[in-house]
Amino acid sequence: MGGALSTSVDITLNSLVLGGVFLIVATGLNIIYGLSRVMNLAHGSLYAIGAYAGYTLTTIGFNYFAAIVIAPVLVAAVGLLLERTIISPMRKRSMVYTLILTYGLMFFLDGLIKQSWGNEPRFVELPAMIKSTIPILGSHYPVFRLVTLFIIAGVMTGLMLFLNKTKIGIILRAASTIPEMVSCLGINMKHVHIGAFVLGCALAGIAGTIAGPLTTIDPLMGHEMLISSFVVIVIGGLGSLRGAVFAALLIGAVQTLAEFFITDLAMVIVYMLMAVILAFMPRGLLGEGRFE
Amino acid sequence: MDKHLTIPDNDKGITAYKIAAITVLIAGLALFPFVITNRFYISLINEMLIYGLLAMSLDVLLGYTGLLSFMHNAYLGISAYVVGLFLIHISPSSLWLALVAGVIFTSVVALPVGWVQVRTGGLAFALLTLAFGMMFHTIVWKWYGLTGGDDGLMGVPNPAITIFGWKIGDSGDPATMYLFTLVIVALCYLLTRRIIRSPFGAVLEAIRENEERAAFIGINVRMYKLFGWMLACMLAGVAGALFILYKGYIGPTTMSAFAGAGVLMMVLLGGLGTLWGPLVGAAIFIYIQDYISTMTEHWEIYLGMVVVLLVLFLPTGFVGLGSYFKRLGKE
Repeated sequence: MGGALSTSVDITLNSLVLGGVFLIVATGLNIIYGLSRVMNLAHGSLYAIGAYAGYTLTTIGFNYFAAIVIAPVLVAAVGLLLERTIISPMRKRSMVYTLILTYGLMFFLDGLIKQSWGNEPRFVELPAMIKSTIPILGSHYPVFRLVTLFIIAGVMTGLMLFLNKTKIGIILRAASTIPEMVSCLGINMKHVHIGAFVLGCALAGIAGTIAGPLTTIDPLMGHEMLISSFVVIVIGGLGSLRGAVFAALLIGAVQTLAEFFITDLAMVIVYMLMAVILAFMPRGLLGEGRFE
Repeated sequence: MDKHLTIPDNDKGITAYKIAAITVLIAGLALFPFVITNRFYISLINEMLIYGLLAMSLDVLLGYTGLLSFMHNAYLGISAYVVGLFLIHISPSSLWLALVAGVIFTSVVALPVGWVQVRTGGLAFALLTLAFGMMFHTIVWKWYGLTGGDDGLMGVPNPAITIFGWKIGDSGDPATMYLFTLVIVALCYLLTRRIIRSPFGAVLEAIRENEERAAFIGINVRMYKLFGWMLACMLAGVAGALFILYKGYIGPTTMSAFAGAGVLMMVLLGGLGTLWGPLVGAAIFIYIQDYISTMTEHWEIYLGMVVVLLVLFLPTGFVGLGSYFKRLGKE
């Protein structure tokens, strides 16, 4: 252990990594809600499936970097299946039913995870080249965490470019603002809904795969992530991408600090923060979200 | 705009047939411990009644006011812990005082939570119930000195059941406790039914069907939502008091998110907005849980699957199934 400087370097970098994972999960949740008004409570379980898929792929001999590409595709396939079978019939119904349905789905998927991989925690074996540590201002920081940080930055940049520069991305953004107009322009909204759900699930899968080596993989990881990503989208404002970036970094920092100093009450503080923001600033800290 | 939760009203009011059915049912349940003395079955039905009361209280909130609470079991848990702590630390023999303390403390906790929650829309309300529920679960779980943490609250004394000073029996005796539970649950059901059939209940249903219209005709929507919430939490508090008296033990798992999903499933199984449906739903749920958990450890797969299938194919529950067959017979 080093001095105060190296500890603060550790805390800063860890907050960025954790915040980045929150950001990817929360953005997936945001995209699904923004485009199809489905608040997917099973999103955390899809994230966990991503982590377990990454684990299984690396144990059967795939390269870690290959797993980061393949696992999200598998999660996206699960998402496509779910959307076509049980999520799409819910669009015509009250939101209460959608919430209950995805809540049930969460327990179903968690149960499947427990049955397939068991209750005991799993660890992802990293390739030798990124296993070492690198000295930064007196701290010996693990290289793979820095690599993870670059992957997160890459995924978010790619997503921004996709949403802002490609035609499909522009249609998605338009559909989240005025779906009727997009529909009038001859775009099949059914395809938009499918695309949004699959994209959101793929993001959950990416987050799960890169989060695997950061922590231990256990069946409860999805629950914790679901709550954390809720807090992120509530604080950032529902549907606001800029707000989510801000909130994810904030919550990442709060949780990392809490892990260093106080552990037991950390989550209680986060829940309280979420309640206060929801009640008094329902549009999020930046005032960009829209809660109905 | 969100689509509203619409539930058809099939209740034609009190008929002689209904009074007879309820009387026969209560009498049958009351005679049960004298016919079947097996303690296992008595406690099973006792648990069905307690969870039935909890499911009924959630129905007041979800089925009548249209507000979703993911973790209504949190309020059962809070009350159970308070009653247990009261009996351990303050007075081991005052049953009624403990019961009242449990319900009052639950209301004191539920009031600010409800005040915050009703300020938000349907989705945020549901997410907040999850956040607050998880918070209470974490507090109970981590506050080892007071609640016993993971081990739960143990060694809760069994006070005597008295009415105006007359000792009727001991709450440690399963048959006596069962009859006590039956009386309290029956009273709560009749009282809640009376409240729900009153103009107050009609206002709650108006909010469920169309919140904007209710506000336009001059109803203070927030205030009525808060009343609905408080009624639901107080009933859950009564269920919590009965829970700790019957079990003599409570652990944090009773307040977990998973247990909360179970309560939602009881309401869905029975039928939203029917009040008696969730009581039936709870009985079915407790029976299945007892049956399945002895066979498989992956109970949550089945719970999740049944919840999904219910929402997709039978959103009105078994009560709805009844009217479906009635329609089928007419055609």
